[in-house]
Amino acid sequence: MTKGHHPSTATRRPDRAALFIAAVLAAIAGLIFWDVSRLAGAAGYSQVGPTTVPYAIACCLLGLAIWTAFEAFRGDFPERERQEVGPVIWIVAGLAAQMLLLNVAGFSIATGILFALTARGFGKRKLWFSLPLGIVLCFVVWVIFAKLLQLSLPAGPLERLFF
Amino acid sequence: MKHFFLATILAGAMSLPAYAADYTIIAPANPGGGWDQTARSLQTVMQQEGISGNVQVQNVPGAGGTIGLAQFASQQKGNANALIVGGYVMVGAILTNKSPVTLKDVTPIARLTGEYEAVVVPASSDIKTMADLVEALKKDPGAVSWAGGSAGGTDHIAVGLIAKAAGVDPTKINYIAYSGGGEALAAILGSQVTAGVSGYGEFEAQVKAGTLRLLAVSGPERIAGVEAPTLKESGLDVVVENWRMVAAAPGLSDEQKAAVSADIEKLAKSAGWQEVLKTKGWQDSYLAGDAFNAQLDKDVAATEGVLKDIGLVK
Amino acid sequence: MATFDFLLQGLLVAAQPMNLLYALIGVTLGTAVGVLPGIGPALTVALLLPVTYRLDPGGSLIMFAGIYYGGMYGGSTTSILLNTPGESSSIVTALEGNKMARAGRGGPALATAAIGSFVAGLIATLGLAFIAPYIVKLALVFGPREYFALMVLAFVTVSSAFGDSTLRGLTSLFVGLGLAVIGIDQLTGQARLSFGVPELLDGIEVTTLAVAMFAIGETLFIAAQGDKGPDKVEAVRGSIWMSANDWARSWKAWLRGTFIGFPIGAMPAGGAEIGTFLSYATEKRLTKHPEEFGNGAIEGVAGPEAANNASAAGTLVPLLTLGLPTTATAAIMLAGFQQYGLQPGPLLFATNPQLVWGLIASLLIANFMLLVLNLPLIGLWVKLLTIPKPWLYAGILLFATLGTIGANPSVYELGMLLAFGLLGYAMRVFGYPIAPVVVGLILGPLAEQQLRRALAISQGDYSVLITSPIAAVLLLIAAAALIVPLILRARGRGEVLSQLAASED
Repeated sequence: MTKGHHPSTATRRPDRAALFIAAVLAAIAGLIFWDVSRLAGAAGYSQVGPTTVPYAIACCLLGLAIWTAFEAFRGDFPERERQEVGPVIWIVAGLAAQMLLLNVAGFSIATGILFALTARGFGKRKLWFSLPLGIVLCFVVWVIFAKLLQLSLPAGPLERLFF
Repeated sequence: MKHFFLATILAGAMSLPAYAADYTIIAPANPGGGWDQTARSLQTVMQQEGISGNVQVQNVPGAGGTIGLAQFASQQKGNANALIVGGYVMVGAILTNKSPVTLKDVTPIARLTGEYEAVVVPASSDIKTMADLVEALKKDPGAVSWAGGSAGGTDHIAVGLIAKAAGVDPTKINYIAYSGGGEALAAILGSQVTAGVSGYGEFEAQVKAGTLRLLAVSGPERIAGVEAPTLKESGLDVVVENWRMVAAAPGLSDEQKAAVSADIEKLAKSAGWQEVLKTKGWQDSYLAGDAFNAQLDKDVAATEGVLKDIGLVK
Repeated sequence: MATFDFLLQGLLVAAQPMNLLYALIGVTLGTAVGVLPGIGPALTVALLLPVTYRLDPGGSLIMFAGIYYGGMYGGSTTSILLNTPGESSSIVTALEGNKMARAGRGGPALATAAIGSFVAGLIATLGLAFIAPYIVKLALVFGPREYFALMVLAFVTVSSAFGDSTLRGLTSLFVGLGLAVIGIDQLTGQARLSFGVPELLDGIEVTTLAVAMFAIGETLFIAAQGDKGPDKVEAVRGSIWMSANDWARSWKAWLRGTFIGFPIGAMPAGGAEIGTFLSYATEKRLTKHPEEFGNGAIEGVAGPEAANNASAAGTLVPLLTLGLPTTATAAIMLAGFQQYGLQPGPLLFATNPQLVWGLIASLLIANFMLLVLNLPLIGLWVKLLTIPKPWLYAGILLFATLGTIGANPSVYELGMLLAFGLLGYAMRVFGYPIAPVVVGLILGPLAEQQLRRALAISQGDYSVLITSPIAAVLLLIAAAALIVPLILRARGRGEVLSQLAASED
C-alpha cells in the first residue's frame, strides 16, 4: 500500500503534515475522553465497563500521537509523491453530486453524473459524451437491479418515464 | 444463457396483471432478521393473493428500527402506499434510544404475528423447575447469568419482569446481552450461562431434541402441544409477548386508512398468509383497529416502567 | 453405510442435466452479483433467493447452493484485480492478490483463488457431511473467555498486515478500534461516541468502511497520480495459468487455509474474516519466500481464499445441526431452507435425511460448477484491467455506490462513503496501511464484548480468562507469536525486523 520507503534523507525540518496527523490523533483521543466521561460507568458484574475500552483506546491514540510527532521532528516519515488535486476534486464533486441528487433526480441521473465526473477526473473531458453514456448505463443497471432483482434503488423522473 | 434466463424472468414479471395499489414496505432492519422476513413474506403474499401487483421491500436498518421509523414518518407523510413493519422491540428501542419519533407519529394498522418468550436451562443443569431458578436468583442474583438478545430488548425486559415478580431487585440481574438469538443459544447449549431467555421458536428444536430444558413460557396460557407451564402458573405474574405489526404513514385521510386496513385484513385472513405463518412457525395474533391501539398504549406504558426498573431508562 | 447411500442418491439427483444447468445458472448469477464491490454474499443471496422459488424443490435447492457459492467467491475477483474488496472476508485477499495482479500475475492469482476455493469447499462440505456433529460439540465449548483468547490471537496476527512501519500500522489499527467504539454498547445499551446522531447508534457498517477505504480511496489515489502513475497495468506477464512453482506453493496453503477456516466458521461467534487473518499470518510465518510478502506472494492469496470458503461451509455446521444462523448470510439461508421445508435443528439429520443429503450433494455440485465457470473466465476477468482507466474507475464507483445504496438507500450512508473514501485516500498518501483499520473495526467490538461477558459471568474474577485449557493454549500461542520474533531479533536474524526496531527507538 505504500510507494516505497524513503528513509529520512536530506531534510531535518519537522514534517508539517506529520505533525498535523499527530494533532488529529490527539484530538480524536480527546474526543473519546470527553464523550465517554459522561457515560454511566455502571458495569454490572464485570469491572470492565462500557468506558474502560474506549479509555484504553484513547490512551493508546495519545501515545501514538506523541510517537508520530517524534518521528515528524526526526523527519522519519516517507517522502510523498506530488498529488494532483484536480482529479480528486472532480471525483469528490461527483460523489457529492450523487449524494445530493439521489433522492431528487433518481438513481440513473445522480449516478450518471458521478460516472461522468469520475471519467472527467481521469482525463475524459468530453462531458457531452460521457454524461449521456453514464446515465444510459446507470439506467440499464437500475432496470436490472431495481426491476428484476427488486433491490430498492431510488427512482426519479427518468425511471418514472419508463416504469 | 444468462440473457435468456433474465429474459424469462422479465417476461414473467411483465405478464403479471396490474393492480390498484403498489405498496412499498419498509423493513427497519438488515436483511435476514425477523422484521425483514415479515416484510418479505408480506410482499410475497400480497402479490400472490392479488392484493397488490407490485410490492417493494426497502431495508432501512438501524438502532432497533428507530432510524427506519424516523425516516418513514418524515418522508412518507400522507403516502397511502407506504407501510412499515415494526414490533415490540421498537417500543423498547424508542425509549432507550430517546428517539424523537415514536409510534404515535405513524398510523399503526394491525398486529400480525406474535411470539411468547421461553425460559430455558441446559439439559445438564441442576435447575429443574422455574421455582429452582427463582430460588437461586433470590439467593444470589449475580450468580444467575441470563443469556438473551440485545440490552433493553424483549428478552431483557422479560428477565427484568421475572426478577421483579420474584421480589428481586431488577437492577441486580446479571443479564448477558448477545447480538442475536443464535449466539445466545450457543452460549446456553455450551452451559456458559445459567439460563436463557428468547422467543420460543429459537429454542423449539433444541427443546424437542432434549438438549435444553424448558422451564416456562411467557404467554397467558400454555402453548398448544408444549408441556411447560406459564410464568403465571409458576407464581410469577408476568406476561410478555414479542409481537410484530404493520403501520402506515402519518397524515392519512380516514378513507385511505380504511383502504389500507382492508388490504391488511384481507392479507391476514388469506390462505397464503396462514401458510406462511405455519412454515415460519409464527403465531397468528391479528389485532386491528381500536383494540390494537389500546393494547399498544398499554404495552408502551408497561415497557417504560420495566426499563426504568432495570435502570436502562432514567 | 446409510450415510453414504444418501449422499450418492443426492449426487445422482443433482447430476441430472437439468439440475446441472440450474447449478450453472446459480453460480453465474451469484458470481455476477457477488462480484460487484459492496454487495456481499448476504445481499446477493437475499436478492437472488426469489429467483429460485419458480423452480421445483430439487432444482431450486441446487440453484440456491450455486448462488451461495457464487456470491462467496465473486468478491475475491474484484479484490484481486481492482483492490476493491466488497466484503470483509476478502480484504486479506487484496493484500497480496492485487500486488500480483499489478505485476501481471492476475491470472495465477485468480486461478489459485478459484482452485483453492474449490478444494476448501470440497473438503469442508465433506466435513460438514461426516463430522458436523463432532465439530459442533467443539464449537459449543467456546464460551466468552475462549473467544476472547481467540480475538487476542487474531489481534497479534494483524501485525502481519502492518506493512513497513510499526507506528503507521498501529495507528491504522487504533483508528479502526476508535471507530469501533461508535454506537450503542451492546452490553449496557448506552450510546457511545454517537453525539446524538441517530444514524451513528448502530455504529459504522463494516461493508461501508471497506468499500469506502478500498474502492473509493483507491480510485482517488490513482486519479491523483495524474499522468505520472503507471500508464496501464500490464494485464498478463508470463503465463495466465499457474506455473508448476505456483502449484507447489499453493497446495499446502489451500489445505492449511481449509483447516483454519472450517472450524472457525463453525464457531457461533467466529466469523469468516478471522479465519482469513489467521491464515494470512500463518502463511507469512511459514513461507520460504518472506521477501515476496507485501509484493505479491501467491500463498497469501491461496491460504485466505481457502479459509474464506471453508468457513462459509463451516457456517452451515451450526446452521444445520443446531438451527443457529451465525452470520447474516446464514440467517437468509435459514429463510431459504424453510421455503424448501427444511427445518434446521438437532433432529434434522435424523428426521429429514433426504433433504439434508440433497443439500450437501447440491453444495458439492455447485462448488464444482463454480470451478467450471470461473477457470475459463479468468482470461476474461483479467481483461478488465485493459479497460481504459477513466471508464474502469467510473464503473467501479458506479457499482460501489450501487451496493451501498441497495443495502441502505440513505444520503447519510453515502456521506460516510465519501468521508471514509477521503480518509482512505489520505492514508494512502502518507503510507498508512488500510487493512488494519477494517480489521480493528471488526475485531474491536468482538474482543471487548467477549471480555466483558466473560467477566460478568464470573462476577469480576479475572482468573477465569486463563483457567480454561483452550483459552490458555490460545493465549500461549498469541504470546509466542509476539515474543518469538523479539528473540529472533535479539539474535540478529531477520533484517526486516531489525529495521522495524531501528525505527522504533
